[in-house]
Amino acid sequence: MKPRTLEIFSIVFAWIAGLILVSAVLVLLGYLFIKGYTSLNLSLIFGDTPPLRALLFRTRVFDGLFPAIAGTLVLVILSIVLAIPIGISTGIYLAEYAGSRIKRALDAFFDVLSGIPSIVIGLFGFSFAVFLHKQYSNRIGPCLLISSIALSLLVLPYIIRTTQAALEGIPSNIRMTALALGATRLQNVFLVLIPRSLSGIMSGIILAIGRCAEDTAVIMLTGAVASAGVPRSVFAQFEALPFYIYYISSQYSDPEELMRGYGASIILLLLCALLFAVAYGIRKGLSHFVFYRP
Amino acid sequence: MSQSQTMTEAIKIRVENLFFSYRNRLILKDVNVNFAENAITALTGPSGVGKSTFLMTLNRLWENVSDADMSGAVEIKLQGRFRDVYAPAMPVTELRKMVAMVFQAPNPLPMSIHKNIAFPLKLAGERNRKLIEHKVEHALRMANLWDEVKDRLNDDARSLSGGQQQRLCIARALTLEPEVLLLDEPTSSLDQASMAAIEELLVGLKDRLTILLVSHYLEQVSRISDHIVTFDDSTVVS
Repeated sequence: MKPRTLEIFSIVFAWIAGLILVSAVLVLLGYLFIKGYTSLNLSLIFGDTPPLRALLFRTRVFDGLFPAIAGTLVLVILSIVLAIPIGISTGIYLAEYAGSRIKRALDAFFDVLSGIPSIVIGLFGFSFAVFLHKQYSNRIGPCLLISSIALSLLVLPYIIRTTQAALEGIPSNIRMTALALGATRLQNVFLVLIPRSLSGIMSGIILAIGRCAEDTAVIMLTGAVASAGVPRSVFAQFEALPFYIYYISSQYSDPEELMRGYGASIILLLLCALLFAVAYGIRKGLSHFVFYRP
Repeated sequence: MSQSQTMTEAIKIRVENLFFSYRNRLILKDVNVNFAENAITALTGPSGVGKSTFLMTLNRLWENVSDADMSGAVEIKLQGRFRDVYAPAMPVTELRKMVAMVFQAPNPLPMSIHKNIAFPLKLAGERNRKLIEHKVEHALRMANLWDEVKDRLNDDARSLSGGQQQRLCIARALTLEPEVLLLDEPTSSLDQASMAAIEELLVGLKDRLTILLVSHYLEQVSRISDHIVTFDDSTVVS
């Protein structure tokens, strides 16, 4: 093949691959919307309860998605809040402090962790809950906290890896700047390297948010149920959107109920979009705060 | 010239039996050299003979490079007496505050001009705002940059021209009033005018501190340096 032909071929191939990907996403979103838009209304979320009373937690919503939305939101936030400090610190340790032998061992360890199927993590969370139940108090069982711990374990590798990669990707001239001015290693990490890596770290967090919001296997073993109302405490069972979608699509009794499943999927996507937007906002605000604060 | 010769008799830096290896390859072998106080000494020689590495042995910056190893003695006269920079009693952060370094490519941090210059003070834990303002202005004046930036101190430092950025980096290195200034080909990425501005600035600084300048430009070397140290084949030849 002539080089020119090869080049045209590669360009055409790349375009086709891109088009397939974009159209797959568009078809998926379009399908969801067409199937689900009829059920998208306030009663899908709040059922028969007046929205304001539901939002103020005055009246429990029985026939709507409000408890599941609240459950997913709390679950995601709790899991991420648990995973961020551990994940970022581990990433910093691996990139900046670990010796080469420890690093190799831990690298292998986190590769294994990131390869564990979520159902196994769910099983672990479940066993953990059973252990606590037997050993400490029979009031402890599968609950929001156990689910969050298990989910944070599931997403830890994303945060660790992206933090590590972002730090290791910083060119050596920037790495040396503060050190040459008399900075300690810790000052260099917190005043120069971390602010420089915020966007990389944030992309790991966004990945983790998405994973926490969509994962079903972990939560169905560790505390998600079909009907629990808005979570009252971290030790209570809870409702969640992915579990609702799974439940409704396997147990629906009439087409209208299935429609509600599609509606729930759209709401889950919107919720993810909202969380991503918040994460982007925080990223912008943070790097501005770190570098440009007068 | 004769007066500057007599002024520069005193020795500032003594290096003995210095060996340096990176990934088991010998970069510097048996370097023995002294540097005069309050003078500009140019370090010249072909690329890849370890001139930049040599600078990093003086402020111990190489310790942040993995797979590197060094042996030998480096003594610098700091605060009036010779001190072994590798002695346990010498904290590396203190050393680097007294032996400052400017790199080949300008490396302003992604923050305002003012914050860049005040950054070493922040590292040192300085809180007094008045003192910080004063020192920032002083450093910018020493680097002949004050008049150009005094009205835009809160602009992003990366909006400056390449030559201004490099003078900013020199000013930043001067903020803590170091005794030694190491420069690693500071003008190699700059145009003629910027180069001249930096040369003028360095000549003006040598009364206050000792300057070591790695340079490939022979004209630059003969224009501004008081002494020349030539590296070849991993060691000092003259």
